This record gives sequence, C-alpha cells and structure tokens, in this order.
Amino acid sequence: MGFFDETFDLMAPNDRRVEGVAKVTGAGKYAAEYKVDGLCHAVLVGSTIAAGTIKNINVDNAKQVSGILDIVTHLNKPLVPGLADEAKIKEARLGLAIFHTDKIFFKGQPIAMVIAETLEDATYAASLITAEYEKTDAHVDFDAALKKVPLTPAGKERGNIETLNKATQTVEAEYNIKAEVHNPMEMHATIAEWKADDKLKLFDKNQGVNSVQRTFAKLFNIPTDNIEVISEFVGGGFGSGLRVWPHALACIMAAKQVKRPVKLMLTRPQMFYSVGYRPAAWQKIKLGANSDGKFVGIHHQAKNGTSVYENFNEGITRVTRLIYHFDNLKTEAATVPLNLSTPTWMRGPGDCTGDFAIESAIDELSYKLNMDPVALRMKNLALDKHPDNGMPWSTNYINECIEKGAQMIGWKDRKPAHSQTIDGDWSIGYGMAVGAWNAGRGNASAGIQMQKDGAIIVQTAMTDIGTGTGVSMQNIAHEQTGISKSKINIELGNSNLPPAPSQGGSNGLSSIGGAVVAAVSALKLKLAGYAAGQNEAYQNAAPADILLSDSGISLKTPNEQFISYAALWEKNNLDVLEVEASSGPGAERQKYAFCSSAAHFCKLRVNRKTGKVKLERMVTVADGGKIISEKAAANQMSGAAVGGIGMALMEEQQTDERLGTLVGNDFAGYHFPVNSDAPIIEVAFVNKPDPNINPQGSKGLGEVGIIGTAAAIANAIYNATGKRLRDLPITPDKVLLG
Amino acid sequence: MKQEYNFSRRFFLKTSSALGALAFIPKGVKAFYEEVKNFIVPAKEQIPLKVSINKKSYAIKADTRTTLLDLLREDLNLTGAKKGCDHGQCGACTVHVDGQRVLSCLTLAATLPGKEVTTIEGLANGDQLHPMQEAFIACDGFQCGYCTPGQIMSAVACVKEGHTKSIAEIKEFMSGNLCRCGAYNGIVESIQKVAAQ
Repeated sequence: MGFFDETFDLMAPNDRRVEGVAKVTGAGKYAAEYKVDGLCHAVLVGSTIAAGTIKNINVDNAKQVSGILDIVTHLNKPLVPGLADEAKIKEARLGLAIFHTDKIFFKGQPIAMVIAETLEDATYAASLITAEYEKTDAHVDFDAALKKVPLTPAGKERGNIETLNKATQTVEAEYNIKAEVHNPMEMHATIAEWKADDKLKLFDKNQGVNSVQRTFAKLFNIPTDNIEVISEFVGGGFGSGLRVWPHALACIMAAKQVKRPVKLMLTRPQMFYSVGYRPAAWQKIKLGANSDGKFVGIHHQAKNGTSVYENFNEGITRVTRLIYHFDNLKTEAATVPLNLSTPTWMRGPGDCTGDFAIESAIDELSYKLNMDPVALRMKNLALDKHPDNGMPWSTNYINECIEKGAQMIGWKDRKPAHSQTIDGDWSIGYGMAVGAWNAGRGNASAGIQMQKDGAIIVQTAMTDIGTGTGVSMQNIAHEQTGISKSKINIELGNSNLPPAPSQGGSNGLSSIGGAVVAAVSALKLKLAGYAAGQNEAYQNAAPADILLSDSGISLKTPNEQFISYAALWEKNNLDVLEVEASSGPGAERQKYAFCSSAAHFCKLRVNRKTGKVKLERMVTVADGGKIISEKAAANQMSGAAVGGIGMALMEEQQTDERLGTLVGNDFAGYHFPVNSDAPIIEVAFVNKPDPNINPQGSKGLGEVGIIGTAAAIANAIYNATGKRLRDLPITPDKVLLG
Repeated sequence: MKQEYNFSRRFFLKTSSALGALAFIPKGVKAFYEEVKNFIVPAKEQIPLKVSINKKSYAIKADTRTTLLDLLREDLNLTGAKKGCDHGQCGACTVHVDGQRVLSCLTLAATLPGKEVTTIEGLANGDQLHPMQEAFIACDGFQCGYCTPGQIMSAVACVKEGHTKSIAEIKEFMSGNLCRCGAYNGIVESIQKVAAQ
C-alpha cells in the first residue's frame, strides 16, 4: 500500500494531539511531578568563583537545619565507578565530573549538594554553605579571548580562494552573535530511586531515554536493562536535553547516599550554566560575485566559545557547504575556551549561526549588485546536487519555498532601495533569507500491541518534547493500518519501550516514522499468519496486500476474505498480540543527499527615535517532505520563527569579565519573545514527499524553522533604515548607534 | 565540633532588625553580632493551615516558607501548576485566587485561609473540558505543554477581563505567560475562539 497515493485530510478535526487532554488538564506528569514514596529533595550549591581550587567547604551551619539528611561534597561523595580515576573521567565524556574534582572551572559549578526532607529545608540549608578557594585567573569575555585563538581549516578547500579577488563585487564583513540559552519552560529535573544496589529508576527530563540509560549504566557499571528511564512528558528541550548533564548524576548519587528516592530540579538561574547554551560566535565572511550575480566564492571564518574543561565545536561553517554553489570556498574555524560551562547543540546548531552571516552577506551583496535578493539567491542555489559531496539531492525544493514565501509576503511591494517607506517615526522594510539542514534519519524501533477489539497501542522509547511525535505516529499508524485514530493509542518516552534515537537534529519523526511502518507490516504478517489457519488465501500474503480495519483483516485480492479480529482471537486463543520492528537508513544514503529547507520573509518597522523593531509580518515556508500532521508541523515552524525573533532582537547571555560571572541569568535579565513580541506567524509547506528518506516521506522540520530567521530580520532592518547590523541581538541601542 | 543552637526565627528577626536600626552601635559589637549570626540557624516553623483548593478543603500543617506553588506541587500532588522560574517571571504557575489570576510562586501558602484557589485541575467540569481547554486542543495552542496550564488560567482570566478586542490586545494581556516553544499563534487563536462564544 502506498503511503503517498492516499489522500487524507490534514486538517481533519480529529487531528488533535494524542496527549492534548493530559496537557490542558494538568494531568500529564513531567519529570519532577511523580509521586514517589519516601521522596526527599536535593539542592545544588554553586561555587562563587570562576576558576581555582576548593580549599575548604563549611557545612556545619547547614547541618543544623532541621530536616537535613546529608550533604554531599567532593570529600564524601558516593564514588561513581565510571569516574573513579582521571582516566575513567576522561573516558566517560560526561564533561564535568561532578563532585569528583576539587577544581573549579566556572562560577556556579556545583561544589556541594544538600539532601533534606523538604525543598524548603534543602534550599535554606544550601544557602548556609560557604567555601574557601584558591583562586586563579578566569576569563569569560568571548570577544576579548577570541583574538588569542588561531583559526584552523574546517573541511576541504574548494577551487582557489584567491579567485575571489577577481570578483566584480565583494562583501567582506565580521559578524558577532552573543550566547543564547535554550531555557525550555520546564527546568531540568530528575527523580532517582535505587530499587536495588544495581537497579535504578529515573524520572528525568531529557530528549533521549536510551541515551540516559546507556550513560548511567556505564557510569555505575550496571546492565543497561537495570535502568528504567521515564520521560513521558518533556517540557521542551531545543537541544538542552540531548546530553546527560551532571545534575542528573548528582541526583542519582544523592539517592545512593541517603538510600531514599531523591528529587532534584534545577533553579532557573542554574539552568543558564547547567545544561548548555548556544555559544557566542564570531565570524568573518568574504563573498564575491560576478556582475551577473553568479557567486565566485566564499571565505568563511568562524570561532565559537567553549568551556575550559571540554571542547565544543559548533560546526558553524557546515551550512556554507549546503545551500549554494561556490566554486571557490574556504572555511576555517576555532573554539575559544572560557570559564563558563560547556555549550551544546541548540536548535539549528552551527547552521543557525553560520547562516546568519552568509545570508546577511548575500543581502549586502544584492544591494551592491543592484539585484533583487530573491533573484540573487535563485541564481546560485545548489538545486542539482549537494554542493559539497556532489551527490544528487533526493529532493530539494528550497526554490519553491522562496517563490511561495515571496508571494505570501507580497515581495513585489518591497522597495529595492533602503529607507524608502516612512510612516511617522517608523521606517518600514522587507527582508528575506533562507536556511537548510542536512536531513538525517536514525535506527529506531516501534512496537504494536493489539487487543481483540482491534484497538492498538503503538509504542516507542522516543520522547515527545512538544514536536508532535505522538500525533504523527498516530497519523502514520492510521494511514498504514486503516484503523480509526480513536482506536490507536500512543505510548512513548520510556526506556522499557522499543529503543529509539534521541530526539534532536530534526531526526525524530524521520527515524520513528519508518519504525511505525515496519511495525505495522509486522502486525499485518502476524495477523495474516493466524488468518491463514482459517483461510488459505492469507498464506504468503505480503503486507501491501493485507488490509486492516477497526473490526478485522481482509485481503486486497482476491476479493476481501474478511475475518474479524474477534474470530481470530477466539480461534487462536489470543490475548494481546505483540509485534516489534526496527527501521533505519540504508543504501539510499549512498545514492542521495538529503536536506530540509525553508525560506523566511518578514515585514517590519523600525522606530528611528527609540530603535525599537516591531515585526509586522513573518512568513515561513518549508520543505519538510510530506507533512504528517499539519497542525503540529505548522506549530513547530511558527514556534521556531518566534525563536528566531529572539535570536535576532533580544536573546543575549551577558557576562562580566571582572567577576567571571554570568549577568542576568534569569527571565528578568534574559529576554526571549513574549506573546506580543511576535506577530501571527504565517506558515506554509511545499508538502511534497521525499521518496527515499524514509517510508513516510517526511523530512525533519525542527531546525529549518529557525535557520535564516535572524538574517531575514536583519536584512529587513537594512531595507527599512539603511543600517547594516551584523551583531546579534539587534537591540534598540544597536539600531540607534548603527 | 558540632554546635547545637535553637534560637527561634522570631528572635533572630527581632535581633536582626534592632541591630540594623541602631547604626551607632560600635564596630566591635557589630562584628560580634556577625560572629554570633554564623551560629544561629533558625528552626523551621510549621503552622496549621486551612485552605480551599478547587472547592475542596484541606487542613494541613505547612512550613511558613512554603509558597502556594510548592504547596500544590510538593504537598498536595496537584502538579498542574508548573514551576518555570519560581520568581514570578514566566507565568507557568498561574492559578486563580478568588477569581483573579495570580502567580502561585509569589504567593505564600500562609496567606490563603479564607480564599478560594482554582488550579488547572479544577477548571474542567468532571470529564467535560472547560471551553478554553477545548480550544487549546483544537487550535494546537501548545507544544511541550509545560506553560499550558498557566496559559489557560491566564487565558480564562483574559477573556473574563475583556481584554480580547484585538489580536494585539490579547497578545499584550497574555505577555506575562512565556512560551519557549513559541506556540503563540495557537494561544491567541484559542482565546479568540472562546471570546467569540
């Protein structure tokens, strides 16, 4: 049965999220919300210096607090086998070996953990802990530190970069982006319970239960299956849940120490230095074109911040090799160690940063060439093949994204010269940019349990961090089986369920979709096997010839041969029918290149007196292959655009070099868009299946929604005001001074 | 050596404010006070509390430091109200107190007697969802769902307050409820839908 030749109503009223009622009634349980008998609370105490060595920790006062159970420091921690010595710590790749070192690498690094009966007791006791340190020099100012780090080649040079000097027009400029913090609304939290000396149960916030399971199995030297990780509801991630962070280990250590289940939820200020962030970045671009607009080449240099205890390379120049043809290309990169916690992947990692610089430079070049930015891009898109590895695209409809977006925003109304539309104190402008992402797929498994009445439960360990994994799995299962959605339940986010990769890099649905298709095939074959006992026609039937309905099984040919589930169950004395199947990428990866893409357009106004930028309209059109759940997909895209507005205009993790500290690490000091900061985002899809990436033909959307948004906004600000602003976020002061 | 002190919090507070007020106290005394303060760990106080939540009465003993949010989440297992910042900066913990939208993380549990608290768990009528809950599902007004209970409690109040005359007005009066997923399209649409009913 072909998935693509079936038409189905995307906006069907029952296309509601499977977990919708649980979310709107507050019944859904997030990590910190499970009721566990004997639960106590852990609170982390952070170092007050940014670099040095702990000399002494004073816990005497804290110990007097009523309700206190224990205090863990590096001096009395329960030893984690996987961190037993320096070599093991290195091998564990956990980053910070929490409580297994007396060295301080950043301010806020946990030096102690209070475990108490109540959260109030623990919080109060934590406030009484003091420490003495031997301080060493600390540096947190990325802009100052980056000059000391030399660039090294990032990937192979193409052509000869000197050719750039012969280009008719060139743009050469530097771009700076401040660090951004994921800040999912749910603060990271863990409840850890040792069920036995070697059996652990975790309720944890993450984006991949199997990854959490594997990490702790290794650290505690116990079998993977002895660890159960439950993450049924995850309050956002944006990448912060892709790594296993030290606080989760701390919670498990606490549970070991007091021999009771322990809950640890980070505070919002701790969220800024405990679970990664998008590092600050510096970039320099030299881009050239001939008078007809054909790109001659690009020289892209990039540096990003990292911690002093771990190297994190964003891969900022990866996207330079993805969207356009550059016959001559050189990319260089470096990482800049700082006394901050380690950064990590944040929505559109690397590409989001690199794309801002490239798409800003292209816009600047379009004005120099006197060419429409849309036309300039169209002329240079690598539509025939992946420009770096030369493989033909399986599908790439980025040009259609651009055309559709231009039409939706009314691009023809844009004035080619800047500063042409004035409305009182406001200047109005249009901008656009594109983004793309190498579309991936991982190995995933799904299981199906079927009841006598035809109701099925489709299961996977994969999380649903809000992207709509559940409703999409339901849609695919419905399409593949023909069973009504009301009879399809979804279970996910539990390590006891069939394993799946972490939900990141726009790989979630791309991976699990194939597994659901495979599991349905397995179910059909299993049912046909039983049916063959009653009717020979079912022998050797292929999944494509087997039809399921709410009530029973039949064959496409010869004429139906319907058998009810009830009859099958009765005859074979069945209880619950269970199947499990896996699916993953294969030979198609050797034949084709895969990408998702999007075009972003906006119309905005800039107040010339206050520097305020107000988005009037924001249009996002994406090529995500076949759209499985239009509502969830559109929500992803509009939400990513809101994130892009934050990146463009407000998000900035400030630091103070003198104190070696973060500044404003809470929601009063760190602003991301509130409701009124964003217009109603207009979203559309190309909605053409990719026939090779996976059985359902969908390409991931999570990243492309944000890659390019910031550049579209910066470009519109130029069109409105003639101010080319290359440093993010573009706060009002930068607009006024620009 | 462990030292056991058991001064009451009230004694500590009194001493503290008295010393603060008397600026003329010689430096030596101040230093002595600082010294002493290091050994004073106030005992926790628990008070009996009668609260009404979702029209159900609870007679409990609560820590005087407990916020309404922690009372709900940690003591009563009503985890619908979410902790997103604990500082009144995000709105995820929004509940209704006597019909007004209130940040439960900035409300001490001890202030509740005599008031009626409504949380997201008390919004539906049995199995029948409140129209706003229904609208949030129909309009996909959420992604991860963590800010959703707070958004819905605010949205119900927003309609009641009459701040729904335009998209801009809805957006303004819903700007105390952050959504990092950026599901603002659906949130606005949900409120428009209910306001039109």
